[in-house]
Amino acid sequence: MAEDNPLLSDRHVAFMLHEVLDAQSLCALPYFAEHSRETFDLFVGACAKLSREALLPAYKSMDEEAAHFEDGRVHTHPVMRELYPQMVELGMLTAVRPFDVDGQQMPLTVASSGFAYAMAANLSAFGFCMLTTGAAHLIESFGSETLKRDYMRKMYSGEWTGTMALTEPGAGSSLGDLRTRARPTEQGHYLIDGAKVFISGGDNSLSENIVHLALARIEGAPAGSRGISLFAVPRLRIQDGALVPNDVQAAGTFHKLGWRGIPSIALNFGDGGDCHGYLVGEPHKGLSYMFQMMNEARIHIGLHAVATAAVAYQESLEYARTRPQGRLPGMAADEPPVPIIQHPDVRRMLLRQKAIVEGGLALVLATARYADLSLHAVDDTQRERASAMLELLTPITKTFPSEKGFESNALAVQIHGGYGYTSEYLPEAWLRDQKLNSIHEGTTGIQSMDLLGRKVLKTGGASVTTLADEIEPSLERARSSAHLASHAGALETALARVREVSEQLLGTAMENPMAALSHSVDYLDMLATLVIGWQWLEMATAAQRGLNASPGDADALFYDGKLRAAAYWMRTELPRVAALADLCVSCEDSFSGMDPESF
Amino acid sequence: MKILVPVKRVCDPDNANKVKVSDDGSSVTSDGLEWKPNPFDEYAVEAGLRLNENAPKNEKLGETVVVSFGASDVVQTMRQTLAMGADRGILVQADDAELDSMVVARALKSLVDAEQPDLVLMGKQAVDGDSNAAGQMLAEMLGWPMATFAMNIATDDGGKTLTVGREVDTGVLTLKVTLPAVVTVDLRIVAPDAVSNGVTPADHKYNDGARYASLKGIMQAKKKKIDQKKLGDLGIDTGLTTTYPKFELPPARTGSCEFVETVDELVDKLHNEAKVL
Ligand SMILES: Cc1cc2nc3c(=O)[nH]c(=O)nc-3n(C[C@H](O)[C@H](O)[C@H](O)COP(=O)(O)OP(=O)(O)OC[C@H]3O[C@@H](n4cnc5c(N)ncnc54)[C@H](O)[C@@H]3O)c2cc1C
Repeated sequence: MAEDNPLLSDRHVAFMLHEVLDAQSLCALPYFAEHSRETFDLFVGACAKLSREALLPAYKSMDEEAAHFEDGRVHTHPVMRELYPQMVELGMLTAVRPFDVDGQQMPLTVASSGFAYAMAANLSAFGFCMLTTGAAHLIESFGSETLKRDYMRKMYSGEWTGTMALTEPGAGSSLGDLRTRARPTEQGHYLIDGAKVFISGGDNSLSENIVHLALARIEGAPAGSRGISLFAVPRLRIQDGALVPNDVQAAGTFHKLGWRGIPSIALNFGDGGDCHGYLVGEPHKGLSYMFQMMNEARIHIGLHAVATAAVAYQESLEYARTRPQGRLPGMAADEPPVPIIQHPDVRRMLLRQKAIVEGGLALVLATARYADLSLHAVDDTQRERASAMLELLTPITKTFPSEKGFESNALAVQIHGGYGYTSEYLPEAWLRDQKLNSIHEGTTGIQSMDLLGRKVLKTGGASVTTLADEIEPSLERARSSAHLASHAGALETALARVREVSEQLLGTAMENPMAALSHSVDYLDMLATLVIGWQWLEMATAAQRGLNASPGDADALFYDGKLRAAAYWMRTELPRVAALADLCVSCEDSFSGMDPESF
Repeated sequence: MKILVPVKRVCDPDNANKVKVSDDGSSVTSDGLEWKPNPFDEYAVEAGLRLNENAPKNEKLGETVVVSFGASDVVQTMRQTLAMGADRGILVQADDAELDSMVVARALKSLVDAEQPDLVLMGKQAVDGDSNAAGQMLAEMLGWPMATFAMNIATDDGGKTLTVGREVDTGVLTLKVTLPAVVTVDLRIVAPDAVSNGVTPADHKYNDGARYASLKGIMQAKKKKIDQKKLGDLGIDTGLTTTYPKFELPPARTGSCEFVETVDELVDKLHNEAKVL
């Protein structure tokens, strides 16, 4: 069971990359010219192998023996000292980074497919990679040459780890309220003073040094988000060629629901008045720098969520195929029981998992492809268009897999029956892990306002028009297939309704912005349901193409599975768009109008 | 030293339950199965790389050449071993139906004659046919010393001989072989301290298992050479010695479990019902 779990279906990942997304076409862009289908497949294969053979087997004990705080330091699970160098060696830190920082310029679309296996196997273990590469990337993009030489290189090489130190007790969703101070000195560095919470990987026993990319306010800076700057704050700083303590103190770890293999800690900067921070980029631009990294980080969260749902789906699928229980109507009592996958309700749950997991992966990879094109397409208009799509899709890519993935993870528990509720089996652990994804990197509520407020209303609805333009060719392809025309029709109707609603909300926002935003989460749900429908239409079109080419038995079953999952989404989920649309424009006020005392 | 490592492409052993036999029983169908390097061959590549490197300094001490037989898409499997660190490859194009252990051994002999390696390092068997024969046949044809089922290898005498621990039913049998030689490896050859070459320090800690292809290695592998030859051009006898008249799947397991009271009853059931004694 668990130890044979494939994490994701290799066939499905190959289908996505080569039959749906045509990843190879990216190699025509100069930035990716060194790559080919061969490098793509080998990398994804190597990630799958390491994930199955090393990361997954370590998962349970990392979940059971969480990091602990002792003598002022956080002690992480010893197995991480073996796993981390292996992930680094494989290229998980630098796969997508440019050659000049020792990266390999792999498209995010492809790298994400490989990373998904690592996340599915062991979210916490991969978390160290993600944080380190994210922090190093900030220095790469905005830092001085000195910072790159002294800190970034050692992070990318895997010697030192990194963190993102944003959150404070009084500043979570609202980072503009953060209070950590930075006082300039004549030597050029800043003295940092403040307290951070929930800093993942903020202390650990797997690397010699830890570099925190921290947000702080320079003395005298304006209040709110316009007065926040970004600093590199190492645990040990380089002084006269040696590493010396930098007055960064772990204050304790949080005991948490999931992600137990990576500690989230409270961190104090400058208790002793000697914490040096090095300004990254220009003063007061910290939040805008963070926002430039945000798209990639949020795509990664969506991928975490897909991966966590995927591994649980594989587990429940295998369980359903092998757990004998009950008989079908008409069977005699002395006949042996059937495997539970024979029961229609179990198949309902499995198909729902499949639709969420594969639809979610398709969305994440499609978004990653827009990210690749937004940076590296040669044509200006193509880059701009990809950018617009990336902006619009990011909050959906972050949220759909997190919210629906949680439901999918709950179904994995359900399919395991009572056993699923016990810690002998892994589905309960994956359910716990999954919950974080709708919270960190901006909660679902925050994402929904980002989507409706910033991405739709602020663009005057232009982003929805771009989305419609992107969906149109998919509709066109599907309409010409007798099998898919009805799906295309359903999606077209839903799209038209979404455009209407967005238009109407623009009007509402002019008069009453609060009312326009009151159903932002429903708006996100509506758009996600539509966009996942689009992804399923794309997959169904590719599957139909595969079926038309008279495949062998195994492929024929594979493609049939895609068509059925697509039909499931179009028939059972897409109709929700209409109801959600009504809710959004009604500005219905049952909760928004409620007095806090009436609860 | 120069090491030749034959690598066979096999169906992913994790997919064994998906193996199907064609309707007329004449062949095993590979439809829908994924290809992997034969695990024992992958271990041989790992052992070869360890013999040929100064690990902490990341220095190469010799050339490791991989050899495969099969259709041209076997190149993908070969690239995996090049990405692990092997230096170049030779692909002998052939149909699977044209190959058996004897033909493979004859073909390898002709490649060994041309390449003159110091060592042929092979998996003890391929996990599809499980024949466990090609290595032994090759050593006989070459007239070279042979050690099969190696679980550890150490070079001595400045690389003139190898001390090989062989995994046998009664324990470990240690042999000293003079190079050039043929060595076939067993699973434990990839234990962290199974291979020593006198250069990599004894306290260097290898991971347990074959190394993973790194992305850097994958990018380099693209540029490594794979020589393609045709089986027919090797000038060897290509007549098959082994033929398979018919394939059938073992009967499906019923999965039922029964408790018996006595040993006699058990023996009786094994003999008369299961017919395995
Ligand atoms: C395990 C874990 C790891 C983490 N790792 C890191 C890390 O490495 N680095 C880091 O900097 N942070 C990290 N965080 C912090 C995380 O990003 C924050 O918890 C998150 O941003 C939410 O902030 P908060 O906890 O203060 O919640 P709050 O902001 O207090 O939110 C509470 C609730 O109120 C809602 N809410 C808040 N403001 C609004 C609003 N304006 N409109 C509507 N609803 C609103 C939210 O949606 C949420 O439901 C981590 C958190 C956890 C639990």
